Amino acid sequence: MNASQFVLSLIHACGGRVQGRTLLQKTGYFVSLLTGLPVDLRYNAHFYGPYSATMDGTVTQLKNLGFVEEASTGFGIVSGGFEVRRFDYCLTDDGKRICDPILKTPEYKAIADAVQKIQNAGHPDYMELSIAAKAFYILNKQGKRMTAQELLSEAEKFNWNISEHSLSRAVDFLKLVGVATS
Amino acid sequence: MRPRLEVRDPIHGFIYREPDERDIMDTAVFQRLRRLRQLALANLVYPGATHSRFGHSLGAFHLAGKIATALGVDETERRLVRLAALLHDVGHGPFSHVTEPILKKHSDAKKLGPDIKEAKIHELISWHIIKSSPELSKLISDRQREQVIGLLKGTWGHSYLQEIVSGPIDADKQDYLLRDSVFSGVKYGVYDQERLSNTLLIHEDNDDLFLGISIDGIHALEQFVLAKYYMTTQVYRHKIRLITDSMIERAIDLGIEEDKIDWLKSLYSYDGSDAYIEEYLTWSDDRLVNEISRKGARKGYAKELFERLYNRRLFKCILDVDQNDFPDPNIRNFVFGDSKEFFKPLEKAVADHFKWERNHVIAYKISFDSAAKTESEIPVIRRTKTTLFHDESALFKSVDQKIREQRFHIYAPMKYEDEKHKMKSAREFKNVILEMIAKLADRQAKLPLEGGEHK
Repeated sequence: MNASQFVLSLIHACGGRVQGRTLLQKTGYFVSLLTGLPVDLRYNAHFYGPYSATMDGTVTQLKNLGFVEEASTGFGIVSGGFEVRRFDYCLTDDGKRICDPILKTPEYKAIADAVQKIQNAGHPDYMELSIAAKAFYILNKQGKRMTAQELLSEAEKFNWNISEHSLSRAVDFLKLVGVATS
Repeated sequence: MRPRLEVRDPIHGFIYREPDERDIMDTAVFQRLRRLRQLALANLVYPGATHSRFGHSLGAFHLAGKIATALGVDETERRLVRLAALLHDVGHGPFSHVTEPILKKHSDAKKLGPDIKEAKIHELISWHIIKSSPELSKLISDRQREQVIGLLKGTWGHSYLQEIVSGPIDADKQDYLLRDSVFSGVKYGVYDQERLSNTLLIHEDNDDLFLGISIDGIHALEQFVLAKYYMTTQVYRHKIRLITDSMIERAIDLGIEEDKIDWLKSLYSYDGSDAYIEEYLTWSDDRLVNEISRKGARKGYAKELFERLYNRRLFKCILDVDQNDFPDPNIRNFVFGDSKEFFKPLEKAVADHFKWERNHVIAYKISFDSAAKTESEIPVIRRTKTTLFHDESALFKSVDQKIREQRFHIYAPMKYEDEKHKMKSAREFKNVILEMIAKLADRQAKLPLEGGEHK
């Protein structure tokens, strides 16, 4: 499965629509972890959590080909005079046609199962998923068991501000989807 | 007071250098860059574009020092940053980036190890030369050469030092945009370099230091991003230049695969050995052309194509289409997706149909992203907070749509009688070739999905 097929499958498995660039990135991060599919997305530490430039480029390509539509919603002006916007992604009719043969593959089934698992773990929004992704990224990089305090101090090194409460919810999520143990 | 050593440069004026830096510039390893053109055969489009990698490397060296000084970098690190910028291109071979795919195809991936996945082959060769050149070893200590390589690889020094030599606004790009613009005779690469350098700042994160820009430099950065975009569309991806580049690549590929020119295969088969580097360093653009085209040289595809290039008898672009030319999504995905496996059968079908030599038909896919893709994450520093370029720039914020331009071309040795003939032929080429593509896509659709096994 290549990166384009992965992203199309991901959006399809999420119901054909994903609300926000961050949610798409983080869902992709957990789905690639849970499925172990050999898609080289190369996640790196980033201000908003683990981020894949490959996935970003693939979404751009799919948009260009008319398989994914990007819709932007404004949420008003915030301090500094800038408007907050959210970018939603949905499969177009052509995108759905391209998806059709992929839906019959075991790879798609694995992706759909992983998305279901994430949704069963409380249907997290982009912020919760970001924090969970940041926490897991650190745990994975360290390759060892860590206390909450150690995790928080590691997060600070990436300039990621996570509260203890959010961290506790993130750890619960990681346990529920089965990528972390108690 | 000792006299200042200086070189007059058409872009930056006087470039000052220390005696040991002059000695490094005088090595055969560095002087070879005089014989590598910065833009391969772009002079067939822009006659003035005959400048060399030597001049560009001097410019990058100068700007790296200027940025380091503006940031208050200490003298030891400043020297290393200047050296890294000076030597960053020593691993380029004849026709530089154009022949990178050939190097990648023939080099020994097993012997080169994991670095081959992270870096381009010419970068691996640059690091090898810096590490093992006897000339450079006499002038730069072992430790400093390791540090220079580390800066180029991104494994040594704070991030901001690495970003001066390799990053979205590095000294390399700052120089080549201005230089390529001047020598090509276009005005697209112009931006306020002084303002950009002088507004760069070090952004402190918890355990690292990154290159950022003061809010005062935001417009200079916007100008730089636009300059890069315009230079890409107008010079680096100029339609005739794409033809010359693909003809060079095809000539060398056929020279190895069909003409069986042993020395050509050796030149593009990097194996990580010092013996390879010793031979590699004897090659330049002109030597390659001369060896292939000289009287008495082996007749074959490579010689014929280089003679065409030499006399500017270029192939013509007989098909230029984008995604809008393919209403069927499956065919659109087939052409502009990740695979290039259909190129060979399509080239064969086109050549057979129009009665051209099979190896003289070239399929070529072009893809480039809209402006500000790599620069969007640059930290912008205000007195009270730090944001990112794509959040701060009013210009790029207003066009916050990431767009990838993709086109598909076919080049062939077509001769047109006149403009009318050209227009008529264009319609015929398009009709016939799009039909061929549809058939190939249909055949592909019946095969199982590509990709690795699900673990």
